[in-house]
Amino acid sequence: MVQTRISIHRTGLALMGAAFLVAAFSSSLLSAGPVEEERDTCLGCHGDQTASKDLPDGTKVSLFVDVSQLDKSVHGTRVKCSDCHPGTEEVPHPERPVKTFREYQASFREACRRCHFDNYTKTLDSVHYAQIAKGDFRAPFCVDCHGSHAITRPAQPKPDISKTCARCHEKIFEVYKKSVHGKAFVAHNPDVPVCTDCHKSHDIANPHSAAYRLRTPQICGSCHTNKAVMAKYNLSTDVLSTYLADFHGMSASLEKGQTKNQRAVVAVCVDCHGVHDITTVKGEGSRVVKANLLRTCQQCHKDASENFPAAWLSHYEPSWKRAPLIYGITLFYKVLIPFIIGGLVLQILLHLWRVVVNR
Amino acid sequence: MKAYVVRFSKQQRTEHVLVMSTFLVLAITGFPQKFFEAGWSQAVVNGIGGLDRVRWLHRAAGVLFSVLAGFHIASAIFSVLLGKASFALIPNKKDFGDAITTLRYYLGLSNDQARFDRYDYRQKFEYWGLVLGGLLMVATGYVLLEPILVTKFFPGEVIPAAKVAHSNEGLMAFLVVITWHIYNAHLNPDVFPFDTAIFTGKVSRHRMEHEHPLELDHLDAAKGDKKGE
Repeated sequence: MVQTRISIHRTGLALMGAAFLVAAFSSSLLSAGPVEEERDTCLGCHGDQTASKDLPDGTKVSLFVDVSQLDKSVHGTRVKCSDCHPGTEEVPHPERPVKTFREYQASFREACRRCHFDNYTKTLDSVHYAQIAKGDFRAPFCVDCHGSHAITRPAQPKPDISKTCARCHEKIFEVYKKSVHGKAFVAHNPDVPVCTDCHKSHDIANPHSAAYRLRTPQICGSCHTNKAVMAKYNLSTDVLSTYLADFHGMSASLEKGQTKNQRAVVAVCVDCHGVHDITTVKGEGSRVVKANLLRTCQQCHKDASENFPAAWLSHYEPSWKRAPLIYGITLFYKVLIPFIIGGLVLQILLHLWRVVVNR
Repeated sequence: MKAYVVRFSKQQRTEHVLVMSTFLVLAITGFPQKFFEAGWSQAVVNGIGGLDRVRWLHRAAGVLFSVLAGFHIASAIFSVLLGKASFALIPNKKDFGDAITTLRYYLGLSNDQARFDRYDYRQKFEYWGLVLGGLLMVATGYVLLEPILVTKFFPGEVIPAAKVAHSNEGLMAFLVVITWHIYNAHLNPDVFPFDTAIFTGKVSRHRMEHEHPLELDHLDAAKGDKKGE
């Protein structure tokens, strides 16, 4: 008993000590001191609007850093200049073996990793990183999407994300703007998917890969099975389950879980509805409206005839009203299977009982 | 007198082995497609080497099954035409009486046991279940194999209708086999652990006396006729 009390006392002391240490440590981090001190030193040169450097490729780069931008950034006074620009503590700075400004940016590409380890690691799985690793610096670094000195919180407002992507992917953005999603985006509708909702932000997969294609039903389903959001637009939330119940959905599900020989030839959402150019399902322009459906089927089933599209139940659950034949057959077996199997099992049990009684 | 009688011909035994093997392949490659969301389905598909291979096997086994069914029916028709047909598998009035007698016996209402001929009512039920169910599986299977061709002549709704019929009928056939057939051929205390008759063709006289006394009488009578000649 006494010993327990002592150990509690000790734990309390240790906790207090730890709390004190943490407080002291964080206050030293947060105190204006070292960050601003270093910043003032840097601005001694980089506060000069005329400061510039000639690069080997013949371009002239301004070395001016606008202090008002730094103040507005999320990093504010929490991050020192040398945290992102390691190796610049020495003045004059050692020469960097770069020919262009892009190469200079690339030389600091990994600076974010120290703090943003999880997101940095995710980017290693992205299509962008795959290009960078090949030496193609047209692909974005962190700062290209997030900004550098004026770095702000991402997704505020949310639609800005798509505008960020549009800086490089301009053609796709123009197509997207005319789609049913894109029109809502232009009208500042917050329910609308922006690029990153489907493609993700850091670990952007190759959209042409089999794995990504086979994930499509779940990607679309993440919004289209959300009852609260879909109710606003009078859209069905059965679209995913009805797709999965069909031949295409079953194939996509099993292909998705395959460890080898994965192929993605089976139709997923975008093959009928479109990708960036997706339209509303009603109206003349729709690929999935009845008048156009045959042509959509024929993209894969070349010899399909007029009757063929009706083989697909258009995302409807079978019922007496819709697809009575299918509903009827399903109901028939729902009754027949338990009846037959129940009857047979009952006979087996009766037989066994009689065998036991005979003994 | 021999201690056994030969109950199944070589053709019957071969047909049974072939139907059994194709049924097994069809079940293994079919159920992962029906229950595609289950973890074991994915494991089976991956074990076989992918969905494409699973489908290929299912279709190949399905075509073989349909050939077997066609052969079986053709040989039945042929034997009728030759006047050699046995009508022992045709259900008759006696089967209903036998069923009631057997149920009364099971329930302990009477100690009388039905005396069966070559096939008892349970065997007839299973045979016709397999033939009719098999034909339904073959028909719906070909519809699913050639949906584009089929919809040139029939409305589109036939395809998903064939799919639900194929999938449910397959499930029912499988359940009948793993309950009824496995019980009658393996777990039934009378034959446990294994009724080898359909593989060897032979059944002991002792068992025949219990299970098919009327058939045994016919066989003995026929032999007697021969001896008497």
